[in-house]
Amino acid sequence: MKSISIITWMVLLLLTIASAMFSNAHGIYIIPIIMTLAAFKFIGVAFQFMELKKAHPIWKSLVFIYLIVIITLILIIK
Amino acid sequence: MKTIINYKNIYYPPGGILLWIIIYLELITFGIALIAMVYYGKEEPSLFHNSRLMLNSTYGMVNTIFLLTSGFFMASAVNELKANALQKSKTYLLITILFGFLFLVLKSIEYTGKLDEGLDMSYNSFFTFYWSLTLFHVIHVIVGLVILISVYYGLKKPKTTIEDVEAGAAFWHMCDLIWLLLFPVIYLIF
Repeated sequence: MKSISIITWMVLLLLTIASAMFSNAHGIYIIPIIMTLAAFKFIGVAFQFMELKKAHPIWKSLVFIYLIVIITLILIIK
Repeated sequence: MKTIINYKNIYYPPGGILLWIIIYLELITFGIALIAMVYYGKEEPSLFHNSRLMLNSTYGMVNTIFLLTSGFFMASAVNELKANALQKSKTYLLITILFGFLFLVLKSIEYTGKLDEGLDMSYNSFFTFYWSLTLFHVIHVIVGLVILISVYYGLKKPKTTIEDVEAGAAFWHMCDLIWLLLFPVIYLIF
């Protein structure tokens, strides 16, 4: 097992627990924080577990563009 | 099973170009549905908030942990296979499948509870989105598990390549990616 994979996995679990805890809090920054944590987890899975970090820059860019568009639209509408 | 792939080549992302096209199409489909859900949530904020409170976010969190753990072991299985450690790879693949089944078991418990409370698809617009999106995702998980089981038995055959395993892994990780967006939107933000 690669140590970077183990670290990524543990960080992902911590971010998941943090997201659930933040959902019980109140404030205008809660939703952007929860969605940002989701974006970090998404990037962790895509780049580490799916090894997108080794791929051509266009594939990496598409993931970032997708995340920025979806999360921005969700935050604007919400 | 050793093979050298230049992932920097635009035509050879890890998992294969066809699968990545499918992944982006799936992500766009789910993304549009989530945006639609948020839009409808803006129209009926109290209904969406009260309905969201009827969900058990602990189930959602534990299911996220199951899928992330499954994804971690999937990535480890691919790494071990590349290092020619076939037996370890198969063990990790079995653990991947186990966590996939745990996800389905917990989802079934959650669904049963909702149906017992009468919170079916027609209950209100929040639950229409809840059932549509999560069931569509569950179908992907079931398909992913079928692929992983076939990959597991395929590992016994010499003609199976790392690309085949990577393609199965990419599909499985896609289920993670979709869930990582569904979980906060459905269970947390309303």
